[in-house]
Amino acid sequence: MENIVFDQIKKEIASHDVVLFMKGTGVFPQCGFSAAVVQTLSEMGVSFKDINILEDQTMRQAIKDFSQWPTIPQLYVKGEFVGGCDIVREMAETGELAQMFDAKGISHSKAA
Amino acid sequence: MISPTPMQTRIEMKLQEAFRPIELDVINESHMHAGHAGDDGSGGSHWCVVIKSNAFDGISRVGRDRMVYDALVDEMKIIHALTIKIKT
Repeated sequence: MENIVFDQIKKEIASHDVVLFMKGTGVFPQCGFSAAVVQTLSEMGVSFKDINILEDQTMRQAIKDFSQWPTIPQLYVKGEFVGGCDIVREMAETGELAQMFDAKGISHSKAA
Repeated sequence: MISPTPMQTRIEMKLQEAFRPIELDVINESHMHAGHAGDDGSGGSHWCVVIKSNAFDGISRVGRDRMVYDALVDEMKIIHALTIKIKT
């Protein structure tokens, strides 16, 4: 069972440049921490695939095991785990996030 | 009947044991999230940890946070959110 969900996760992070595993959706986040990451990405004009883990209890646990990270949200860029809300916000403040998007060839509206 | 150890003490003890920190502050931020998603009414749902320890030297940001989460694996099952501030 785990392998099937892990395969599903791998497929999602391989087929979308920026994937956010979150509570709720990009349009309607259902937790303040998820909302904060959505806001950061939106402010930077970065489009992302939202995956609502509240709609899928198997995914909710599987993504924590897959990333070895016990909390949601979780941001993946080009198949790589970036972090949760604290890390993303901190990287946005220091400009590291913009640099990372530049390095990975992901378009955003914020000058590094 | 033994009353359960308060969450603050539990978190402090686990982190003391795991990292022998030079600095450690465990702050209950639950009141800031009262009535929001994740507030279970216990008054112990949202926590912030400020920690300084040599144990984190040379480890990436994600790796450091994982070490803290690992040390608090049982507590993470109960609480809703943990903000981690690691000083180096």
